[in-house]
Amino acid sequence: MMIQMTRVRIAGPRALLDPTLRVLQDLEVVHVVRPGIPDLHPAPPDRETRRLRRILEDDEAALGHLQVSPSASVRPPKSVSLPKAAALARRTRRRAERIARKLAALGDERSVLLRYQEFFAAFAPLLDSELAWPDGRAFYVVLRVGAGDAVHRLRASLDAAVDGQIELLSRALPSGETAVLILASAAVADKVGQLLSSSRVQELPSPEGLGQSSLLRAMPALRARLAEIPKAVAACEEERRALREAVGPELESLRAWFHDRLLVLDARAQAHAGLHLFVIEGWLPGPELHALSARLLRELGPEVLVEAVATEPWSRTDAPVALKNPPLFRPFEVITRTLPLPRYGTIDPTPFVAVFFPMFVGLMLGDVGLGAMLAAMAFVIRLRSKPGTTARSIAAVAGACAAFAILFGLVFGEAFGDLGTRWVGMRPLGFDRQEAILPFLALTVALGVVHVLLGLTLAVVNAWRQGHRREALGRGVAALMVTLSVMALLAALKLLPPGLFTPLVVALLVAFPILILLEGVIAVIELVSNFGQILSYARIMALGTASMMLAIVANRMVGAMGSALVGVLFALLFHIVNFAIGVFSPTIHALRLHYVEFFGRFYSPGGNAYRPLTHWHPLQQGS
Amino acid sequence: MVNEVSFAAALAIGLPALATAWAQSRIGPAAAAALSEKPELSTTAIILIAIPETMIILGFVVAVLILRGTG
Repeated sequence: MMIQMTRVRIAGPRALLDPTLRVLQDLEVVHVVRPGIPDLHPAPPDRETRRLRRILEDDEAALGHLQVSPSASVRPPKSVSLPKAAALARRTRRRAERIARKLAALGDERSVLLRYQEFFAAFAPLLDSELAWPDGRAFYVVLRVGAGDAVHRLRASLDAAVDGQIELLSRALPSGETAVLILASAAVADKVGQLLSSSRVQELPSPEGLGQSSLLRAMPALRARLAEIPKAVAACEEERRALREAVGPELESLRAWFHDRLLVLDARAQAHAGLHLFVIEGWLPGPELHALSARLLRELGPEVLVEAVATEPWSRTDAPVALKNPPLFRPFEVITRTLPLPRYGTIDPTPFVAVFFPMFVGLMLGDVGLGAMLAAMAFVIRLRSKPGTTARSIAAVAGACAAFAILFGLVFGEAFGDLGTRWVGMRPLGFDRQEAILPFLALTVALGVVHVLLGLTLAVVNAWRQGHRREALGRGVAALMVTLSVMALLAALKLLPPGLFTPLVVALLVAFPILILLEGVIAVIELVSNFGQILSYARIMALGTASMMLAIVANRMVGAMGSALVGVLFALLFHIVNFAIGVFSPTIHALRLHYVEFFGRFYSPGGNAYRPLTHWHPLQQGS
Repeated sequence: MVNEVSFAAALAIGLPALATAWAQSRIGPAAAAALSEKPELSTTAIILIAIPETMIILGFVVAVLILRGTG
């Protein structure tokens, strides 16, 4: 449901502007907007704002590098010395960045050395060979995976080029690559280097900073360095921990203060502040007005005046939109919030979604077994999610869908298809979907009639609230014509007394020109589209029947596969696939029925979100 | 008679299936391209992809009616 907003104007002496804003921030109910004063332009960000943003940037960067996670219990300090805060944030940021850079460099160095170590392990047995050629030069080459036969070709071509004045040794690496050591005499070393380079055989460079030009002779230094790195990392971590403990809480507290102050400054930029007076305007939920007046009077005295500009009718388009639904319906806001907010004064469809969405999914799934699996999935999501998160809402929605699936499973007498019937003699409380396909189709189309008519009725309410009386009447006539048409059809099929048919058709003929007069010729197309959209609800029956058939096919696998074990495995696999389809497909189609067939009748997006001036909440707001 | 009815039911579901597949093959890449630039359009994309499924679903309903109608 949408909360009705009241526009308030708060005025007082200029000196009381900041205290007033602080009171508003404590109350957390006023959505501040620019006062409706002609020729009033937004003030550019002032020096204080720019300075605070710079310090906050240092503060947040320091906290990020110190790996301080946001905490809900942080309270801003009562007062802050900006020069001291700026110095602390800047100094800490520099130190934290230096530690982070050092840690990153150590991590990079370690991963490079570990890579080299793999090669060294392969080259180590060849060390004696290199040492046997003290006046020669060694080339280290790694051939890629699958290029093992290239060793022979490399040896042959090098032998031919330098007349056998080389020795080539190779080893396979655990990674599948091939390590190759080429020893060349001083006379032909340059030529070998050129040949390798021209044939694009890449040499492994010696690791830097180990004081050795030869790869193999660098090994002891490399091992020593590898042993040193964890100690260096531990020392950096310790330095960071000490820094975090020393200044982390203070920086966190300062961050909260800066955010709070910036929120106040943003609100102050919206206010009109003259030489002697200030005026703030904003929106708040109607019932909060009394509390606001009382609090301002108590804290700032009678000099600050509060007046309700008006308890605006629903037709105000600039009023912010706040949705407030009962706890049972609130999780379903996750479905309506995927669309832009509804315009102020229109109807929040969440309560209707909360009833129809799980009902549609349940009708399509309609199976005690699959419903129980969905309930288990909802329970797991609930256990793994935090309150107030989207995941928690999804868990609640899935739980409601599971409840409806189990309920309709009992109505249809289904538990994993016909397994319930075959194993425990389960009988349908309503009707068997496998046999009664036409009644099921009639039920879903009837649901479509109810849903589309409900949408049309909500469209009438929306148009009436917004003052569009003619449009409201037009929608009302359209809803009436849909009802009359359905009744005439039922009378023709003798499901209603046949004598009603003629009066109903006459009523339709009378309503038709009225509809065109009110809504124009386009209304005829819309009227016809209503019937198409009602038929679209047949998808509930189609998907439900398909899901049931798949479950039955899964059960038949047990006997049809020859081996009972293979059959059971196939059946289980099929049921799991059916469950995955049974969750995904009904959800998509139930969403579609809501977004296209239902919302399409009345939903009017384009509302501005209600964002009252509040304190900064680290777990809800970014910055 | 049975063969003709079965053939009619197969056509009733087969032709819309081809039409749905063709429509979704055009919508899918367009939706994916749009999502890569504007991920907030995911709801619209899902709806757009689901819209052509109406054809095969109604085809399925008609096929069932054909089969049931002849007992």
